[in-house]
Amino acid sequence: METTTQPEAEHGGHHDDHNHGHAEQSFFTKYIFSTDHKVIGIQYGVGSLFFLLVGFILIMGMRWQMAKPNTPVPVLGPILEKVYAHEIALDGEGKTVPIFKDGKITASGYNQFGAMHGTIMVFLAIVPLGFAAFGNYIVPLQIGAPDMCFPRVNMASFWAFFAGCTVMTVSFFIPGGAAQAGWTSYSPLASVIPTDGQTYWLVGMVLLITSSLLGAVNFIATIIQLRAPGMTWFRMPFFVWAQFVTAFLLLLAFPPLEAAGVMQLMDRVCDTSFFLPSGVFASGTEPMNVSGGGSPLLWQHLFWFLGHPEVYVLILPAIGMVTEIISNNTRRPIWGYTLMVGGILVLGFLSFIVWAHHMYLTGMSSKIATFFQTTTMIISIPSVILLTCLFMSLWRGAIRFNTPSMFALAFLPMFGIGGLTGLPLGFNFTDLHLHDSYYVIAHFHYVVAPGTIFALFAGIYYWFPKMTGRRMSEHWGKVHFWGSLIFMNVIFMPMFIQGFAGMSRRMSDGGATYSMINNPDVTSGALTDSVINMNSMITMGAFGMGLVQVVFIVNFFWSIRNGEKINDDNPWKATTLEWQTPTPPPHGNFLTEPKVYRGPYEYSNPDIDNGEDFIAQNDPYKSASEEQKEAEA
Amino acid sequence: MEIPYYDKERPDTGLYNGKAGIWLFLASEVMLFGALFSAYVLLRVGAEPGTWSMGLMNQWVGAFNTLILIASSATIVMAWVCLKLNDWKGFRKWKWATVVFAFIFLIVKWSYEWPAKFTHYDVTFVTNESAAKVYTDVLGPEFLKTQPTIWQKRFDPLKKDEKNAPASQVKLKDKPLDGHIVGYIDSEGAKHEVGAAWGIPFWSHAFAWRHDRKNIEKERDKSIRYGEDGRPVYKEGHFRDTFRDKDIKAIIFVPAHGTWDHKEKHADSGTVKYAEANHDGGHAHSDGHGYTVTIAREDISRLSSYEPAHSTFFATYYTLTGLHALHVLGGILVMLYHLLPVSRRVYEKNPVQYTNRIEITGLFWHFVDLVWIFLFPILYLL
Amino acid sequence: MSNDHSPEYYKKKFIPLIYLVGSILIVGTIITFAADKMGIAEKWGFINATIFAMSVAVVKASAVMYIFMHLKWDIKLKTISLTLGCTVIFFIGMMWLTVGSEIDSNKPGHEENTWNHVGQPEPETVPTER
Repeated sequence: METTTQPEAEHGGHHDDHNHGHAEQSFFTKYIFSTDHKVIGIQYGVGSLFFLLVGFILIMGMRWQMAKPNTPVPVLGPILEKVYAHEIALDGEGKTVPIFKDGKITASGYNQFGAMHGTIMVFLAIVPLGFAAFGNYIVPLQIGAPDMCFPRVNMASFWAFFAGCTVMTVSFFIPGGAAQAGWTSYSPLASVIPTDGQTYWLVGMVLLITSSLLGAVNFIATIIQLRAPGMTWFRMPFFVWAQFVTAFLLLLAFPPLEAAGVMQLMDRVCDTSFFLPSGVFASGTEPMNVSGGGSPLLWQHLFWFLGHPEVYVLILPAIGMVTEIISNNTRRPIWGYTLMVGGILVLGFLSFIVWAHHMYLTGMSSKIATFFQTTTMIISIPSVILLTCLFMSLWRGAIRFNTPSMFALAFLPMFGIGGLTGLPLGFNFTDLHLHDSYYVIAHFHYVVAPGTIFALFAGIYYWFPKMTGRRMSEHWGKVHFWGSLIFMNVIFMPMFIQGFAGMSRRMSDGGATYSMINNPDVTSGALTDSVINMNSMITMGAFGMGLVQVVFIVNFFWSIRNGEKINDDNPWKATTLEWQTPTPPPHGNFLTEPKVYRGPYEYSNPDIDNGEDFIAQNDPYKSASEEQKEAEA
Repeated sequence: MEIPYYDKERPDTGLYNGKAGIWLFLASEVMLFGALFSAYVLLRVGAEPGTWSMGLMNQWVGAFNTLILIASSATIVMAWVCLKLNDWKGFRKWKWATVVFAFIFLIVKWSYEWPAKFTHYDVTFVTNESAAKVYTDVLGPEFLKTQPTIWQKRFDPLKKDEKNAPASQVKLKDKPLDGHIVGYIDSEGAKHEVGAAWGIPFWSHAFAWRHDRKNIEKERDKSIRYGEDGRPVYKEGHFRDTFRDKDIKAIIFVPAHGTWDHKEKHADSGTVKYAEANHDGGHAHSDGHGYTVTIAREDISRLSSYEPAHSTFFATYYTLTGLHALHVLGGILVMLYHLLPVSRRVYEKNPVQYTNRIEITGLFWHFVDLVWIFLFPILYLL
Repeated sequence: MSNDHSPEYYKKKFIPLIYLVGSILIVGTIITFAADKMGIAEKWGFINATIFAMSVAVVKASAVMYIFMHLKWDIKLKTISLTLGCTVIFFIGMMWLTVGSEIDSNKPGHEENTWNHVGQPEPETVPTER
């Protein structure tokens, strides 16, 4: 630590003063078209946090409409009506039909919101936040690199992402509104849907995929090429390993979706029939006027070939962050580091051969279903290994219960619930009943929302001091944590019950159409009152959740200027390299090229007697036993 | 700040940064084209009998383009070797050769192959009788004997049973007649010529994209329609029909040779009128040299040129070759950049870095070549 | 690494190799093309013709990768070529799975039909209350 740390006053604010052989940058090249990985990371972070909020607002509107069908949405409703006032479409006889009327979200509006909620949350919020933002900021620092391998490609990646986000956002305001075919965009529906939203969605996806590909190439090349001297593969922090595997998943799984997107674009623009079988009926009594011969299953295969690795793209960076934070806050080395690395590599490989477990209900043959349910069961093994290692790491640790640590600890059971409830969906015979029900919603939200998002919050609280030189408020952080934990469970736990009761996941009225009240002559199969009434509870939970996030947002912005200043570059007493640089790190990251002498989790090592309970990776300290060994050699 | 290993190799990986990057990029490209190849296989295996319109390609042109691309692949590696030997002149020579070859490839594709297909039509008929009428006109009264072989190449070779079906079971109305449209007759019986531009038949402007009888009877609106409930009504409204607003009673059609490749082989099994017409040198000439046949509008159930919407085969063909052509174009742009004076300065400043750039471009270019090596057999031959 | 070779090596060894690979590619193209013109699809059957054409293509592709993309000299990159090979095998395996499932599903003309029971007269069932 003593090799690089400088007092705060010397470098605060003027990090360009460090002599690193680069020219003075203008504001434009420094903050807008920057090639510095830290600035790009922050750009990604701000952008994706914004879209996290947008996705959340969309779901709040949907939840309101489900809890109270036929009631105008407060606040959002009038805005929607204003925004979509000119989006009135003409029907055949010149009559006008608004998409949002009387402040209510119509079924078609609900479809738009649902499709865009999924798309925004997955492709515009979580992946850019977990992979691109944290990866960009942290990975080069942790491996001791001056920057990413290809800084300009990095910038191109961000601007492709920006263009993709713009296209997606603009699609809300075109006639007919945004995409309506769900975030999975299943053909033939997505191919024949007449509004232009789907075309915008596809163009936006191609841009986002390009961005991810450029990012993935850059990450892998950086990790392979730019590791500091002494940073061997097994001295890399686990977060870097997680990003490495994630980058490979993005690199190899995204191109098939790009191909599929191009094909669907051809279907929509050039009237081809890649995904339209012969004699498909869109509406009316005549089959569609297309050449036919396509295969709707082809889309699903290509989509889920991306879609399943994508799940691991969402979760692996989160696990990486949690590992860092748990190790740091339990003051213990990670239990089974090599095991975890092996597990994550196996997980990465297996995630490519489980995709069709999303497709049991498509009429695939039972033989292929058997294959995929087997691989699905196998992939749960490395997941459990990762989780178990993290739990074992807690054992006999002196846990510091600060905000990042609490979020990271809450991640473990939440992700556990999400993972375990996935097993019934992985089996063919149980999935037939649970498919497309609220059970599925609850399952994957437990993985992604209280799972990944908690880890991301933990990461924000943990690395905030590195980025700004100030801590976020602990007190409000804890309020944020407990509120989020409670409301997350209020939202998603009842959904398991709704799913078991047979509630379908795509009902704009919250299932009222299928309720017992509306179907008095049906004696079984209708949704009972108690199931329907859970909607209001979930909605209340969602609004409570929104309230708690306000605390976070205020805390975040307030702390940038007014947070408690850290008086040390290493406020968490961490071992990894990103804490051994000035805060915030200068352009070029390290004052002298770091040299790595030991593994990433040297906490509470009894051999090391340096007056602390940790030792930094670049600390050339030699313990007595090591010196003895060297002398013997 | 300098990124380490941007021009020299990292000892433990044996790579400089750019090389690691390009190989990773190529891995993702493999997945991109791999997905499209898989789509091709899946669609082809799942195709209904007789709908995989294979064998309509001009194989000679395809083979020519393959050789051109192979040559460019060899020249670009020569350019790199020249740089390694510090031979700047040789480098420029080979690099320009590569660019020229790449341009020839694109010109052949964009100005010959694709336009020729866009003006080449398939006609299917409403009933077997109307089809028989036209086919008798084209092939002579004994065409029924020869017809199983006529469509031989149009059938997917995988579907053996359809190929060997007795003539009486072949549904004539589903068997497309292919050729060029050289004119049409309006409701007053006047003939109008369309077609050849600058005297070259395949440059004839696209007169009709697609025509479908089903749509004539229906009044259709291009705008999006919404039902009472605010949901859009899913109609095939955006599918085009270029005949809809035109005063056309019948089209004047020149059958092309694509379908009748085997005419000489089977010359003894029937009098093929079309063969004579073809020997006259008649292709799609509007001056009446070619053998023309008049097809009434009512008899046509579907008319489509070999555009992407013609069939899943052509959809795949255009997507794959289009994506490949985009890669070729990208390669050309990068190579032209490397021939600019600004690149010369890079070379003088840091020859190793410049040589690495050429190597990376070369690796990309070889990949483009590799894709074509697989595209050629699957799209043109098999 | 190819970068470490002497100029002599390039003149004497590498340039002849380029010509060799170039001729392999041209000969391969001509072989495939001629085979198609001779009608091997009809003589050997479609599957065999496909295997033949793809084998020639794979030979051409490996020649390009080993010499033109100089994988031969990139010792460390051998692992990449190995990975690529595995990717291809993996792809073929996965394609076999999906295509197999496609054939397996309900298509007229396929006798091994997993959905054969559809359309069969249903066994007598006890009417359930609904």
